[in-house]
Amino acid sequence: MIEVTAGWYLSLAAVLFSIGLLGILVRRNALIMFMCVELMLNAVNLTFVAAGRALGNLEGQVAVFFVLVVAAAEVVVGLAIIVAIFRRRESASVDELASLRG
Amino acid sequence: MTFAQVLTPPSVGWIAIAPEIVLGVGAALILLFDVQFKPKKSQLAFATALVLVTAFVFTIVQYDRVQTFNSATTDQVTDLVAQAFPFNLMIVLDSNAVFGRFAMLLVTGLGLAAGWRLFERLGARAAEGLALVLLSAAGFTFMASSTHLMMIFLGLEVGSISLYVLAGITREQPRSEEAAIKYFLLGSVASAVFIYGVALTYAGSGSMNLLEIQGIVSRTVFTRPAVLLIGIALMVVGMGFKVSAAPFHSWAPDVYQGAPGGIVGYMASAAKIGGFAALIRILFTAFPDFASTWGPLVAGIAALSMLLGSTVALVQDDVRRMLAYSGVAHAGFILTGVVAGGAGTSEVWFYLGVYTVQLVGAFGVVAAVAGAASSGASIDSFRGLSKRVPFLAATFSVLLLGMSGLPLTSGFVAKFGVFTEAWQAGYEWLVIVAVLASVIAFFFYLRVIVAMYMEEPVDEAVAMPGLSVRTSLALAALITIVIGVLPGPLLSLAGEASPL
Repeated sequence: MIEVTAGWYLSLAAVLFSIGLLGILVRRNALIMFMCVELMLNAVNLTFVAAGRALGNLEGQVAVFFVLVVAAAEVVVGLAIIVAIFRRRESASVDELASLRG
Repeated sequence: MTFAQVLTPPSVGWIAIAPEIVLGVGAALILLFDVQFKPKKSQLAFATALVLVTAFVFTIVQYDRVQTFNSATTDQVTDLVAQAFPFNLMIVLDSNAVFGRFAMLLVTGLGLAAGWRLFERLGARAAEGLALVLLSAAGFTFMASSTHLMMIFLGLEVGSISLYVLAGITREQPRSEEAAIKYFLLGSVASAVFIYGVALTYAGSGSMNLLEIQGIVSRTVFTRPAVLLIGIALMVVGMGFKVSAAPFHSWAPDVYQGAPGGIVGYMASAAKIGGFAALIRILFTAFPDFASTWGPLVAGIAALSMLLGSTVALVQDDVRRMLAYSGVAHAGFILTGVVAGGAGTSEVWFYLGVYTVQLVGAFGVVAAVAGAASSGASIDSFRGLSKRVPFLAATFSVLLLGMSGLPLTSGFVAKFGVFTEAWQAGYEWLVIVAVLASVIAFFFYLRVIVAMYMEEPVDEAVAMPGLSVRTSLALAALITIVIGVLPGPLLSLAGEASPL
């Protein structure tokens, strides 16, 4: 029987975070990109919880609440912006947002 | 111990967060005031000015308090430590925080005055815009005044989320919307990267308090420090995004071109002050022992930012994109001071103070020429500006020359300071790159000045801006010259600004 240590959780979180980051880079739909950001934040939460438990202090568990609140605030602003864009263009693809060239 | 002693309420160091309380409550009151009384724009302006002045007065009180901390004798110290670290070590009242507040409030006042025409044109949304500006100012000053990584993250988010909305506040314009979504998506990725860095630092060191982390890492020999090192690197990358350092700058030109002209100067300056304040705090307070590890990383980002920012700015046809790329280069110059470690703190603060004032002024001129609610400002619209509105051409020239680092302007003193520190810290190659980049940068600033003074005027009429805009621009130009000739007072003020 393999014992599941904190390292496993940290590795899982790293994988989730990488999937989120990769999603941002390859997907072109603003909503999906936004969900990838949420995936990254949840990977952060998993890291906090696993580290907090392994270290035996509560700071990591409490940190999750703050990250959740911030994520919720980002959802409010992000969805509002996406809706405003969708009303004008009937599409949420960021490829069509190219009047400003980076 | 009697019951009354047990129940004695703890003394709360309200003074340490008084400016933020004023800004936050002020923002809420302005929104209520707007809903209830439908005030005129001039009344809103008065209310906002009142909030900023009150916050400024509290910051002066804090400055006075910090002076007494610094001159305290040893037997007073234990008593004063509690005052300097209120809220269970979440907030710190030190010269770093106070200087950050001074810079932030100055930039907010100048930025709002320079872009006031935008708020006049926003109609019913003016109060929302003002409240968002005040809230973001509170968030970014929290970044300068906390020693706890979670608190720094919250300050960063309060500031950033307000800026995402401000970027899209003229939503009738497609470009403003586009700037908002780009800023939002890339900004929230940067926040996620930063907080992942915080989580890994916590996993590696067991604390999120910078002072405790410093204590832990200085007396622990890590057999496998990888988690901690990745955490530090991710925090640096996250902050690099926020201050638009290359290679994390790709959002900056689009956002600064598309966002409404009247507010973009404030947006650019505020994010830089908050980002660098937090970066200084994290690297110098928690990880001075790891300087040999993060030094090369920061130096690499600095060199890339300076070279890329300066060269790409050369080929821009839009003045706002040019200023954005020059902002990338300036992020590199400031990072040149950061690699010097704790010794470079005062030079970094000096640079931040003078550069953000120039930036707010420069974007203010652009807003006056191209329109406060506009997106973009072609260099053609600046042709022959000296014949159309000499005042704007003159102030813009002073501010651009200040940014280029010409002697007798504040930019020269600032550049000289950070280059000296980096040289003494052993980063000679970085200083050589920086000097080269400043020479390249000089050309694109000169290109705008040549267009304004030596080319035939275009027909576009530019109105002489109103009194608040004129005062703000004149003040920014005046600060640039006066600090350039007499840098002493600001140098000594910035010299005190070091994180505890």
